[in-house]
Amino acid sequence: MAAQQKYKFSDIIADPIINERWEKVRRYFFLRESTYDMSNRCNIRCDGCYYFVGEKQFAEENNSESDWRQLFLSEKERGITFVVLAGAEPSLVPQLCAACYEVIPLGAIATNGLKPIPKEIDYRIHISVWGNDQTSQAIRKAPNMLTRQMANYQGDARAVFVYTFTPFNIDEAREVTEILAAHGHKITFNMFSAPVGYDGSLRHTPQSLAKTRMMMRELLADYPQTVLFSPYNIVAHTNEKGLHDLFSCTYPRMNPSTDIGLGRSFRQYRTDLQWNRDAACCVPDTDCSDCRHYAAGSAVVTARMYRHATDPVTFSAWLDYADTYLAVWVRGYEKGQNLCPAFVNPPPND
Amino acid sequence: MSNDINQTITRIAEIIINELKLEDVTAETFDADLDLVNEVGIDSMDMATVALFLRDEYEIQIDEDDYPKLTTVRIIAQYIDNKRNSNE
Repeated sequence: MAAQQKYKFSDIIADPIINERWEKVRRYFFLRESTYDMSNRCNIRCDGCYYFVGEKQFAEENNSESDWRQLFLSEKERGITFVVLAGAEPSLVPQLCAACYEVIPLGAIATNGLKPIPKEIDYRIHISVWGNDQTSQAIRKAPNMLTRQMANYQGDARAVFVYTFTPFNIDEAREVTEILAAHGHKITFNMFSAPVGYDGSLRHTPQSLAKTRMMMRELLADYPQTVLFSPYNIVAHTNEKGLHDLFSCTYPRMNPSTDIGLGRSFRQYRTDLQWNRDAACCVPDTDCSDCRHYAAGSAVVTARMYRHATDPVTFSAWLDYADTYLAVWVRGYEKGQNLCPAFVNPPPND
Repeated sequence: MSNDINQTITRIAEIIINELKLEDVTAETFDADLDLVNEVGIDSMDMATVALFLRDEYEIQIDEDDYPKLTTVRIIAQYIDNKRNSNE
């Protein structure tokens, strides 16, 4: 067997195609994120919802625009350059989202898409999809969800539909992607990640992970203009190991260091404008051993650049992941063509 | 030894200035004891970038878990020196 070639990083990025992507991606290394629960109310109630687990759902709502504006000013002062507005349903408090946008202009909002978010709030809008309308009716108890979501965001360049794979909606992803493609929407993929203590049937199994992997691969090949994903995203999110086991999670909840990176700057604010370092991660109350959440991967995989810079193929896979992350989360960032078509194994987590 | 460390400090400062596109400072004037996170404003992705170029330059591996310890150019120089000595 030939000895494995050792590459210098400068040799890897000397390739013109890799270099172009590297320079495109590294311009966004200034992003420093934190997340904010905007309301403790939601207009639907979904099985397995992470928000209505743990203590955060009982935090009081603070609906004072002035208090929120003050918080975002202090967040900006602290160095936060990217906000994620989530839980339970931010579209119910558009005035608070607007207060945030006035202070920190880069961000994303996670919504069920049933109530449109005003166009003036020019963040990425992540619209959650859990299957076709029959499945949504069963799990989310809301009729005609996809139809209503698409109508609310037709022609809206802010919108990205986020399809959460469970063991029971894998085949439906094709139908949903086909519909979204026909209407000119974008879709990316998420994996159901069990909340702490969850004992329902939506938790993935080795079989459902393998089947999801195949479906994602087919959809990425069949709808390259619609699907914001890469082969390495597929590998990272459908592995039998969760993201923490694969990459060592960098969020405060699993990372004791407060010196640099997410461990230093990330906070997850609740609706009462308080935060708790011990619970702080992008999807609080998720069972870390089962976490394959798209939001987690966006930070955790991206942060592990060094270990991926071993050879041009592995680094290209990492660049595809970072390029996908930016296209999904940052308004105005356009996804490039994936550089690495192969399924690359994640580097060892040591 | 002291001369070696000073050369390493200057080279690390050059890499940081070039890769992070810092302005108004040169390798010669860069304060080796400045706190890179609190005073220069670099973060984990910047540190990973610098670590990759240091890996090229000095043929050492820099553990991702060691980033929090690498708070100044002088400390990075000492870290590299220790790594290189342990590799000999």
